[in-house]
Amino acid sequence: MSEHVLAAEGGIEVGVHPEVSFLGLTLNIDTVISTAIAAAIVVGLGFYLRAKATTGVPTGGQLLFEAVTHQIERQVEDNVGIRTAPFVVPLALALFFFILIANWMTLLPHAFDEYLKPPTADVNLTFALAFFVIILVHATGLRKRGMGYFRHFAQPTPALLPINIIEEIVRPFTLALRLFGNIFAGTVMLSIIALLPEFVYWLPASAWKLFELAIGLIQAVIFAVLTIVYFGFATGGQEEEGAH
Amino acid sequence: MSAEILATRTVVAQSNFLIPNGTIIVELVIFLVVLWVIWRYVVPPVKRIMQQRQDMVRKQIEESQDASERLAAAERKYEEALDEARTEAAKIREGARADAQRIKEEMRAAAEQEVAGIRQRGEEQLTTQRQQVVRELRSEIGDLAVTLSERMVGESLADESRRSATVDRFLDELDGMSVTDGQATARSGENR
Repeated sequence: MSEHVLAAEGGIEVGVHPEVSFLGLTLNIDTVISTAIAAAIVVGLGFYLRAKATTGVPTGGQLLFEAVTHQIERQVEDNVGIRTAPFVVPLALALFFFILIANWMTLLPHAFDEYLKPPTADVNLTFALAFFVIILVHATGLRKRGMGYFRHFAQPTPALLPINIIEEIVRPFTLALRLFGNIFAGTVMLSIIALLPEFVYWLPASAWKLFELAIGLIQAVIFAVLTIVYFGFATGGQEEEGAH
Repeated sequence: MSAEILATRTVVAQSNFLIPNGTIIVELVIFLVVLWVIWRYVVPPVKRIMQQRQDMVRKQIEESQDASERLAAAERKYEEALDEARTEAAKIREGARADAQRIKEEMRAAAEQEVAGIRQRGEEQLTTQRQQVVRELRSEIGDLAVTLSERMVGESLADESRRSATVDRFLDELDGMSVTDGQATARSGENR
């Protein structure tokens, strides 16, 4: 119903995906395709880097990757301790590059109605990532601290128990919806810009896509850093809670 | 086909796009593949290479420090050697100057000695020559005196007394000449 209202106002559809049914599941096929493309790019870059990586004079791409890896390692060291959870480094690294490339798929031309939107503009990807991360966080906390892990729900005082529990429950949703909201808003904005006449449309569209690049980078950084911070909380690296 | 899409759109219009559907599973699987590849194939070699390069840079920094230290040491040694060479050169120069002075003194002394020797020998020679001359002159004068006296005796005895006075004076003069050396030689030269 709301779709019809929007269509009546500006002729744009929001959050509509072409769907297919597969093994009884309803799949947003555009999201699946764009995710697969983003994944292929990340994996391809990874193998390219692995092939070109050298101890000699490094290429720019290698330096960039090493800089990102170094930053993530430092974050993990500060928040969790590399020894406590060494697997957080590749996890955060994969999250960062995957989300970054996915966000930057907004660069794809969208002269057609059914263009490939960034997969992060679909809650399916962001929820998948967020729940995966949060489940891993809790699992790691349980493994490192045993039953004592549950004690941190009652800190600093038992009176905060309900708030802490609510916060833990809310976390995957904030993590997922922050990313989704930012990128989704960008696609909506592009749809609205696309209503402009064709001879001026390119200018705000290009400007907005450049802006989207920055937003995509920031959101990827935030997702990766928050992942590390949550691992830090769970493993007792830092007891105080951060703001969302 | 278009009918199918229309049908699915109707479904979408009824559902909320904030609620994930089956796509979430596919998305998770795709991400797990990405994670596995990066975890398994990308991070280990890149980390190893980063480590190697860090080691290499550390080694290079150490080597460069070492090299600069050695350079400083070499420069110090060079300066020392230069100073040493300078003092040595000064010493040699001083020595040479002293040698030259000494040789000059020695040569001067030798020359003086030689001059003195030559002079002495000359004087001695002169003395012997003079004595010889005196001796020769004496004998000659004796002969002359004898000849003169023979002539005087033979030719005329008229002014005998005056002639004898002349001979006496002559002999006296000769005696006087033999007493003083320089004058005698001069006179004997004159007389000749």
